[in-house]
Amino acid sequence: MIKAVIIDDERLARNELKKLLLDFPEIEVVAEAANANEGIEKIDSLNPDLIFLDIQMPGKTGFDMLAELDKAPDVIFTTAYDDYALKAFEVNALDYLLKPVEPKRLADAIHKLQMEEGKDREIISDDDIPVNRSLLHEHDQVFVKDGERCWFVKLSDIRLFESVGNYAKVYFSSNKPLILKSLNALEERLDEKVFFRANRKHIVNLRLIEKIEPYFNGGLLLELKGGEKIEVSRRQTVKFKEMMSL
Amino acid sequence: MILMFIMLQFIYDQKVTAKLLEQQAVIFFSGILTTHLFREFIKKSNWLMLPVEKALPKFFVGVIIACLVASLLRIGIINAFDLSSSKKKFDFLSRLLFATLENSFFIVPWTLIYYFYHYIEKSRKQQFDTLKLESLVKELELKTIKSHINPHFIFNSLNSIRALIDENPGRARTAITELSNILRSSMQTEKQETVSFEKELNIVKDYLALEHIRFEDRLQVEYEIDAETLNQPIPPMMLQTLVENAIKHGISKQLNGGMVKIISDFKDNYHELVIRNTGHLNGSCNGDGFGLISTKNRLQLLFGQKANFDIRELKGNTVEATVLIPIDPAK
Repeated sequence: MIKAVIIDDERLARNELKKLLLDFPEIEVVAEAANANEGIEKIDSLNPDLIFLDIQMPGKTGFDMLAELDKAPDVIFTTAYDDYALKAFEVNALDYLLKPVEPKRLADAIHKLQMEEGKDREIISDDDIPVNRSLLHEHDQVFVKDGERCWFVKLSDIRLFESVGNYAKVYFSSNKPLILKSLNALEERLDEKVFFRANRKHIVNLRLIEKIEPYFNGGLLLELKGGEKIEVSRRQTVKFKEMMSL
Repeated sequence: MILMFIMLQFIYDQKVTAKLLEQQAVIFFSGILTTHLFREFIKKSNWLMLPVEKALPKFFVGVIIACLVASLLRIGIINAFDLSSSKKKFDFLSRLLFATLENSFFIVPWTLIYYFYHYIEKSRKQQFDTLKLESLVKELELKTIKSHINPHFIFNSLNSIRALIDENPGRARTAITELSNILRSSMQTEKQETVSFEKELNIVKDYLALEHIRFEDRLQVEYEIDAETLNQPIPPMMLQTLVENAIKHGISKQLNGGMVKIISDFKDNYHELVIRNTGHLNGSCNGDGFGLISTKNRLQLLFGQKANFDIRELKGNTVEATVLIPIDPAK
């Protein structure tokens, strides 16, 4: 069963989508929201697997709303017109439906989602799923928005978080956008088995380390898959060696 | 080609001698020189641009003169270098006449070919230009229509109507009529300069009725219309564009929605139209200001410099757009 929330400022549009979703018994619409703030509330309290999200809404747009979430559920955008905003997206994990929604397109989008979900489930079942729900799992995705550009990123694809004032710079593939989150707040939410605080300014993804070299002062120098070189402070080196049983 | 033709002629007539060859060279040279000069002259005096009936007599005279000049040149050169092959001495006039006739054998076809080649080229280019212009006009027309109705509005309306078909079939039916009216009027926009305010107001009422289906109680609409103003002429789709902006930049950005009020009355010697809506005037309204800029331009084109358009923010979260149209633009 997929728990879904519909977020759209028009009641009739929500009704229409609900009606279309009646043909998909695997999708259960657990809540509706008429704007971004209500949406955040519903997502935080109900933790849905999927949201149907309108882009143009009063107050905050759908993108603004996603950027405020710690962890993005799967998203299917709904929009009345081929929005220029959708073009801001990188070609990843994004599906959108044009209103009025064609039942066939909806079926395709849901099917695609289930396929990906199936893949993820297999991977996750190998690991031990964190009991604490507020902790982000490495297969969770986050929504990152930097100016006009947006990405959905799997945590497992992120190599490095770097502290830049109140912001954090997120390194994945060839991009490094800024997000408005402090490194300390991130550290609390990230799975410490995967994400390691190397020093005051950096959190690295342990699975994406290319090389480990000894560094002066008894520290270590990590080289990541993207070529970034990160120093591990002396205090953290002890912890690092413990974890990696070096 | 021409050279071959002349040579063949001479070869049939007379035996080939050195003198004959020299003569032919002179004929060739004088012919080329004259046709080049003629061509320059045609280009300079723009004969090719003239209509056929005007160009023909000019070309006729031109060809005769060109033949004469070529002959004079030829006789002059032949005399100067004593290249004449015939034993008999003809008088100058008959020599000139003979040479002119001979020259006309190649200058006339040359001119004909030259003229028709350019004539065909010109008409082809004209055709091409007309097509290009036509497509440009079409494109501009389409662009204006497209920017007049917001596609978001059309598809959102269709989506609401689909939901209404089950919920309230009666309302769905009227909604389709309203949408048709708007589409029809926006397609006819380019055909008329002005429409009566009443006609435009009806479209706006349909438009707002549709937006009301979408926004429900988030949109309140008020009208304050002086019935006397209903016959006043206004540019088509102008009020519509302004109201659309009021919704797009005003109501749709407010969490709790707001109000749109349309006022029409006479003020001094002007017909005054006011559109008031809840919202803020964003400082950078140039970005999306198609409606606003085109409104001002259209008004001044149609009603002269006295017509005016203004938009400003009032106290209490309200934006007000005002259109002033002189009552009798002729005076």
